[in-house]
Amino acid sequence: MKVLMFGWEFPPFNSGGLGVACYGLAKALTNQNVEITFVLPKKLDINVNFLKVIFADIDKIKVKDVDALLYPYITSGQYLKDRAYLKKASYGNNLIEEVRRYARYAREIAKKEQFDIIHAHDWLSFLAGIEAKKVSGKPLIIHVHATEFDRTGGGNVNSEVYEIEKEGMEKADKVVAISNYIKNIAIANYGIDLSKIAVVHNGIDAKDYVYHGNYNSGLHEFKKLGFKIVLFVGRLTLQKGPDYFLRAARKVLDYNKKVIFVISGSGDMERQVIEEAASLGISDKVLFVGFTRGEELKYLYHVADLFVMPSVSEPFGLTTLESLVNRTPVLISKQSGVSEVISHALKVDFWDVDEMTNKILAVAKYGSLKETLSVNGSLEVQKCTWDEAARKCIQIYQSLGTSY
Amino acid sequence: MASVCFYFQVHQPLRIKKYRVYDIGKNSDYFNDDSGSNLNNQKILKKVAQKSYLPTNKLFLELLKKFPKFKISFSFSGLILEQLEKFSPETLSSFKELVKTGKVEVLSETYYHSLSFLYSRQEFRSQIDLHRKKIQKVFKVTPQVFRNTELVYNNDLANEVEKMGYKGILAEGADYILGWRSPNFVYLPKGCKKLSLLLKNYKLSDDVAFRFSSKSWSEYPLTAPKFANWISAINGNGNVVNLFMDYETFGEHQWEDTGIFEFLRALPLEILKHPDNDFVTPSEAVERFRPVAELDVPNFVSWADVERDLSAWLSNPMQKDAFDKLYDLEKVVLATKNKKLTEDWRRLQTSDHFYYMCTKWFADGDVHKYFNPYDSPYDAFISFINVLNDLKLRLEKITKPGEVNKIYV
Repeated sequence: MKVLMFGWEFPPFNSGGLGVACYGLAKALTNQNVEITFVLPKKLDINVNFLKVIFADIDKIKVKDVDALLYPYITSGQYLKDRAYLKKASYGNNLIEEVRRYARYAREIAKKEQFDIIHAHDWLSFLAGIEAKKVSGKPLIIHVHATEFDRTGGGNVNSEVYEIEKEGMEKADKVVAISNYIKNIAIANYGIDLSKIAVVHNGIDAKDYVYHGNYNSGLHEFKKLGFKIVLFVGRLTLQKGPDYFLRAARKVLDYNKKVIFVISGSGDMERQVIEEAASLGISDKVLFVGFTRGEELKYLYHVADLFVMPSVSEPFGLTTLESLVNRTPVLISKQSGVSEVISHALKVDFWDVDEMTNKILAVAKYGSLKETLSVNGSLEVQKCTWDEAARKCIQIYQSLGTSY
Repeated sequence: MASVCFYFQVHQPLRIKKYRVYDIGKNSDYFNDDSGSNLNNQKILKKVAQKSYLPTNKLFLELLKKFPKFKISFSFSGLILEQLEKFSPETLSSFKELVKTGKVEVLSETYYHSLSFLYSRQEFRSQIDLHRKKIQKVFKVTPQVFRNTELVYNNDLANEVEKMGYKGILAEGADYILGWRSPNFVYLPKGCKKLSLLLKNYKLSDDVAFRFSSKSWSEYPLTAPKFANWISAINGNGNVVNLFMDYETFGEHQWEDTGIFEFLRALPLEILKHPDNDFVTPSEAVERFRPVAELDVPNFVSWADVERDLSAWLSNPMQKDAFDKLYDLEKVVLATKNKKLTEDWRRLQTSDHFYYMCTKWFADGDVHKYFNPYDSPYDAFISFINVLNDLKLRLEKITKPGEVNKIYV
């Protein structure tokens, strides 16, 4: 079985969960004897040859890179800034034009390559997938990790992006949603037929995320003094709900002064969030550590007593799994895909700051609660594997008439 | 001879409402949820009375009048009796009417349906005492046979109960305590001289209580003649078939449309068709049959889950923590002699609170999830522990004024 996959840059060069998901899934599919030709946009003048390094151990993945200024979560405004910075004439005049240019390259690749099925991840690659289907006649799978509604928090939906997403889902032979949460959006907001959508939850490569003890910081000193550490990890954008996290922090501190709130991430709300912490009068108890990755991020998960994901809208929420593999309990928004697969978690409505506070206080005070969540959660996360996700994808390939 | 001994457990806990950190020190009504949720005790009680207690009582009254040999027994928690008095007096009247027939035995248990034996003998005895008084007052009878909460049992418990003067005790007929032996005989608990032990025939009991409407069960559908045949087959290798189950089996766990009431209606006649069969109450069983052997049960056994041990209530750290923190207050609470405070502390001892905190199998969505009125075991723990903090605060107010701010440091 050969798959032409349109995906995204892999760790450590990616930003956010999409690259991680593409990497995990592609690797697991390959382990289950699926041959993948992996097409991805890449700013050729920045990272030369990293793919060869990444794929040194996976010889079945053939990589086709296309010089295009596209990366996950890019916005029209950011595109124009990047383009001006890179000053490269071949890039499209705006983001949508660049997406179309990428699709034309995809068509050329599809003409030359041998494959049984096309699998495209998120809207920036949907047109590429559609073009590949046009020239090859092979079935198309559209894999939806997030929609325009998630990225914008429901307001200011870009109609061009929406149209591309809708077209992708409509022209697909099967839509894969990473959660029921996304599935419901595809039905309600894109009018996609229920029977055409399959849910394949994300997984995690636990070994890549477990803290190994080769990083340290002053946070341990706070713990020695009896402070509890409550962690937020995510882009500082509306979608991730950092403002709700801060409001809960404020309330928690009214009852328990020995709690430190750590915020890891950057984004368009960064300034606002820092200012809000100051105006709430809790700057001394909120630590902004910026965007973290690698050992530093693992350390944060490890040192924390509780991880909080108060997302307003969260198609999946891989950070929850990252926390659990480090045995740190999680308090997650009910409005998240990951809450469909993790039951050993504290759950709240993102807007319910009072309840969030109630639960943070309980974990901070009762070691037995933390311990029970930790033991059960770290067992449960072991079931969330990319092998399982790959197995479901292969079933979908087979259901579309592809022999395995 | 195969004598059928029916015992039905009648109990509803006082579920703790969603109680948050903000309620501590401000609100000491822990059990009065009035929302549409399953934490609303009045709502649940009325529903169960309508679906189960009232129609089943009516049916049993008919059967008891129709078949002179037919007999049953109940164990009521003190909490269910309180709730019936308050929310459904007509249901309580119908239970009284059953007891008045003289063919319905009422058993002894802890008033608060607690696991107090695991922590404090004194508290255990106090609650049995309270329960006896309640039963005497409501039903004008004095229980002679004891059954502990959730059929939790071991040698020590049997010895304690013997000292209290009971003549019989009930327990789960778990394979791992019986080995090759049969549950269909009366046994002598190790260390006891006069107390007789009746063991639940869990296979036949669960055929009715759990498997009755299970279409994947090879014996489905279960009919009264079929079940009566299984009972009759025990003739010659057993004396007494102990069918122990929750009373809510009828109409609540097994809904009316499963045919459970028709099954029950037809059962006495079918069982009595065999001339060697009859019915006994637990007291009659221990009088009629001599123990065939001593039974040694050093570790606790119960009727819950496949494990049939204490793990439904005391297996994860939060269950143990909540249990310890609750009983740590025993001396201080009792010393206050404050009636309301003591009552609230005892209401928190009900085993159900700990059952709701059970995380075993939670992810698989099994029976624990089905019976859990909270969103998760963690939510159950948080409400419980917050309530306990409020109770501590009340306690500190009475005992050491001025030290009330200790709750959150």
